[in-house]
Amino acid sequence: MNPTVSTFPLYRTAWRRIRRRPFQYVLFIIGVALGVAMMVSIDLANGSASRAFALSADTVTGKTTHRIIGGPNGLDESVYVALRNELGYKLSAPVVEGYVGSPELGSQPVRLLGVDPFAEPPFRSYLGGEQGAIGTDLGAFLVEPNSVLLSAEFAAANDLALNDTLTIDFAGQTTPARIIGLIETTDALTERGLSNLIFMDIGSAQQVLDQVGTLSHIDLIVEDDAVLAQISAILPANANIETAAARGNAIQQMTAAFELNLTAMSLLALVVGMFLIYNTVTFSVVQRRPMFGILRCVGVTGGQLATLILAEAAVLGLIGSLLGLGLGVILGQGMVGLVTQTINDLYFVVNVQSVTVPAFTLVKGLVIGVAAALFASLLPAIDGMRTPPNATLRRSTLESKITTLQPWLIAGGIALGVMGALFLWIDLGGLILAFAGIFAILFAAALLTPPTTVVLMRILTPIGNRLLGVLGRMAPRDIIRSLSRTSIAIAALMIAVSVIIGLSIMVGSFRQTVEIWLEQTLRADIYLSPPTTTNASDNGFVSQEVMEAALAWPGVERGVSARSIDIFAPDLAQSIDAFAVSDDVSNGNRPIFWSDGDDATLWDRVLAGEGVIISEPFMVRHSISLPPAPLTLQTPSGPREFPVLAVLYDYTSERGVVWLGKELFSAEWGDDRISDLALFVEPGTDIDAIVTAMQTEFADMQALTITSNEGLRAGSLEVFDRTFAITSALRLLATVVAFIGVLSALMSLQLERARELGVLRATGMTLSQLWRLTFLETGLMGSTAGILAMPVGFILAWILIYVINLRSFGWTLQMYLEPGYFVQAFLIAVVAALLAAIYPSLRLGKTVIASAIRSE
Amino acid sequence: MTTRDSVPVVSIRNLNKHFSEGGRDRVVIDSLDHDFVSGEFTILLGRSGSGKSTLLNLISGIEIPNSGDISIDGASITAMTDKQRTLFRRDNIGFIFQFFNLIPTLTVLENITLPSELAGRKQKEVEKTAMALLERVGLADRRDTFPDKLSGGEQQRVAIARALAHDPMLVLADEPTGNLDEDTGERVMALLLDLTREAGKTLIMATHSPEVVPLADSVFRLHDGQLIATSGHSESDDYQLAFEPILG
Repeated sequence: MNPTVSTFPLYRTAWRRIRRRPFQYVLFIIGVALGVAMMVSIDLANGSASRAFALSADTVTGKTTHRIIGGPNGLDESVYVALRNELGYKLSAPVVEGYVGSPELGSQPVRLLGVDPFAEPPFRSYLGGEQGAIGTDLGAFLVEPNSVLLSAEFAAANDLALNDTLTIDFAGQTTPARIIGLIETTDALTERGLSNLIFMDIGSAQQVLDQVGTLSHIDLIVEDDAVLAQISAILPANANIETAAARGNAIQQMTAAFELNLTAMSLLALVVGMFLIYNTVTFSVVQRRPMFGILRCVGVTGGQLATLILAEAAVLGLIGSLLGLGLGVILGQGMVGLVTQTINDLYFVVNVQSVTVPAFTLVKGLVIGVAAALFASLLPAIDGMRTPPNATLRRSTLESKITTLQPWLIAGGIALGVMGALFLWIDLGGLILAFAGIFAILFAAALLTPPTTVVLMRILTPIGNRLLGVLGRMAPRDIIRSLSRTSIAIAALMIAVSVIIGLSIMVGSFRQTVEIWLEQTLRADIYLSPPTTTNASDNGFVSQEVMEAALAWPGVERGVSARSIDIFAPDLAQSIDAFAVSDDVSNGNRPIFWSDGDDATLWDRVLAGEGVIISEPFMVRHSISLPPAPLTLQTPSGPREFPVLAVLYDYTSERGVVWLGKELFSAEWGDDRISDLALFVEPGTDIDAIVTAMQTEFADMQALTITSNEGLRAGSLEVFDRTFAITSALRLLATVVAFIGVLSALMSLQLERARELGVLRATGMTLSQLWRLTFLETGLMGSTAGILAMPVGFILAWILIYVINLRSFGWTLQMYLEPGYFVQAFLIAVVAALLAAIYPSLRLGKTVIASAIRSE
Repeated sequence: MTTRDSVPVVSIRNLNKHFSEGGRDRVVIDSLDHDFVSGEFTILLGRSGSGKSTLLNLISGIEIPNSGDISIDGASITAMTDKQRTLFRRDNIGFIFQFFNLIPTLTVLENITLPSELAGRKQKEVEKTAMALLERVGLADRRDTFPDKLSGGEQQRVAIARALAHDPMLVLADEPTGNLDEDTGERVMALLLDLTREAGKTLIMATHSPEVVPLADSVFRLHDGQLIATSGHSESDDYQLAFEPILG
């Protein structure tokens, strides 16, 4: 006798059930779809930004293997002459590059590449050769000053044609430039790579970018180490050779933590979605238990039942994932704008023309979506597999099971919590282990939800009775009675709301920390600097003429200058951001993390050239232990060690910064130009009037951004707010998934309690009383989730502030708690739950009491 | 049509009820005219699916007829809105179900006070009456117990107390012993009759149990949507009573 039966009847029963109860399964699909969409959209946004950057870098790098880079003032062009003439090395090409703006190109930052057309062919073929063809001869490009080349597609996208004129804006200085040729690209990759690039002859580019006599770098193609050694030998002390790949990697690594943070947050939506899936599958198993019992009687094996449940989950998970992929691609279009804005603000310029959808992202989304559905269905599938023949096990058994399980849930919750704390405490795994710690703690909170709910509801029963009579008594008891269902919904909502609290506290604390820091640091009244094309970098210098006029301005007491520079740090094998300052603009108010001695004389010692100051993110990023070892910086006369006098709390950049005295910089690097000037005015002076007058007066001398203290602070906070705009989207989506979780739980509860509700109606409960009971129950579920979310959200905020932020970006933030965060989150939980009750309540009105009483 | 020269408490006129099944109409109640007399115990017999439960549901207003009228104590329940029917049921009708249908989240005492509490009365106010009924059904010591801790017979005794606690004029019982063993069923039946007769309530009961037939004031068989008076003691009745549950 064949011990098995055909699986076809099983799948027929599954299909019929789905047709009879489509709503439950639709919620399942939505849960998966939203989770996958969130993940895919973040993945696409991160990936598109990364790919756009890599493509643009590859386009510029071409076949370059190495680069000669210089000091803060670039590389003297004599190095190129020496390379060509003394060494006779031909595989070298000089490059001058910078970011410029142009109203004809949409005023976005555009990369201007100044090249020597004769040296280019071995490196980049855009100026003629196999890749592209120019619509004009190279002669004109060389002869005509300020002529530019750009790709035909880039020109067409901006409605530009051959011979049109661009207005190139660098640091407020504008230069007209004629489009002398259009590069015809032969493939999509090249087209995208050239989508944000304009070429200019190197001589013109030096003029436009204010780099006369210097180069940004010299590109090399070197296969032989001996040749490399020869080249190194003729380089001046402040020049270095780096590999082309290392440069790209270093820049991309800057955003690694930022992208990992986004990915982790996007996974939260999937976790909340998994609660929803678990709920739906458990419900479908419990509902079908008698049928499973009968099927077991007629020969269906437990394994076949488990396969059936998992197959259903896989199919629904697949449908949900496919929908999620579509939704993710649509969401990705919006997310990419937020992500690239942040990257442009904080890291480097990247221009994403389109969201590319790699097959890997889609396959990953599909696999993770289906895997999440299967994982969440595993327990119910095992439960279904264990159905004894002719089982009559019903909900009451499930509820008694969860009651019996409570000590285990508590033990499991505590164990997971301890594990999470350990993950966070151990500083070995970096960010990934820290996020694993967060997820462990969130799961621990979810496990502790059922027992905590029971305690809370028991406390509320007598209170409800006193206030609302029989309904107030029934509602909390109903929640306890259906704990297997209600606690899942409460846990899902609790996690979503705790994420809202955690992120709100983190972002709020971060903002307040930055606000206080700005107040402490920006003590000058007026700030002057050349206009920047991007927030991530400084452009140009404040002219001597302007500086002198500004300092002599009536009412101006004194000025503090700063020079923003990139200096190569040989020990760290990379360039670092530094400021050469003439004084402390904060008047000694900058918060000190560590100092080597007398805080009062710190800045005097820095200005006297005794050493440098580093920021906290610099210390964290480069794993510098206290007291810090001297910092080696490349000077024109070779590497030089500078003692580190202090570490300051600073939120300028997550890469970290180094401060050194202006005199020291001038002496060592032979450069006394300044990029920013801060002015202190006499008390009682009308600052806005001075700002307006200076803007008028200096307009003819130099294009400058002149801002009051207030304006600069507002601008900084605007960038801050833009950076965290994406977290609002993540918070919203997690709440939507949790809302669907509550809705799904309510729908299944209503189906399960159909007879009980029918009896209540038959006994004399009016529809409005039944609605009140439903809203009371959901209100209690929402409140419970809101109450539980408060400590969990606080813990999450603590971890985000003191662990994740510190490890990701190296910033110590002060935690600022406001009752508003908790009140708002509590209200979101309650309102989400109450909203979820509307549809089930409307359905209640349509229930035929007699049918409900008859229902099984 | 009345069975005695007494006041009818439930008057049914030209009542029709049919269900749509698989695109076809199945007539359950067909132009029915009938009066149930006040204070009487009436038994409704009939095969499973003959419409006994439907008739009780229509009388209580939890099901709506396709046409016709039902008046209880002069009030037309079929002309009422859903809310009016609910309130009328809450004040005037007690319902006992085959599957007890106690509310699992309420204690024994709370189940009994439920209809009164839903009517806005405080639990304390109705507790005395409820306790007196609990004493009568022999479950005073289980007042704070939840239904899942009671046996089937005990649950049905609580259901009887709940049906009578708010002093309804009419008690409807849908196979109240159908889910109990014979001994328990007899005891529960005796209790129900004692309590309803003592209080002078009208009791209409749908049942398959032959042993309760002699206790009834009137016995009707529901057949083809019509109520047919019967003694309940004929050969065909005996046959029907014995095999109806099996024949279904």
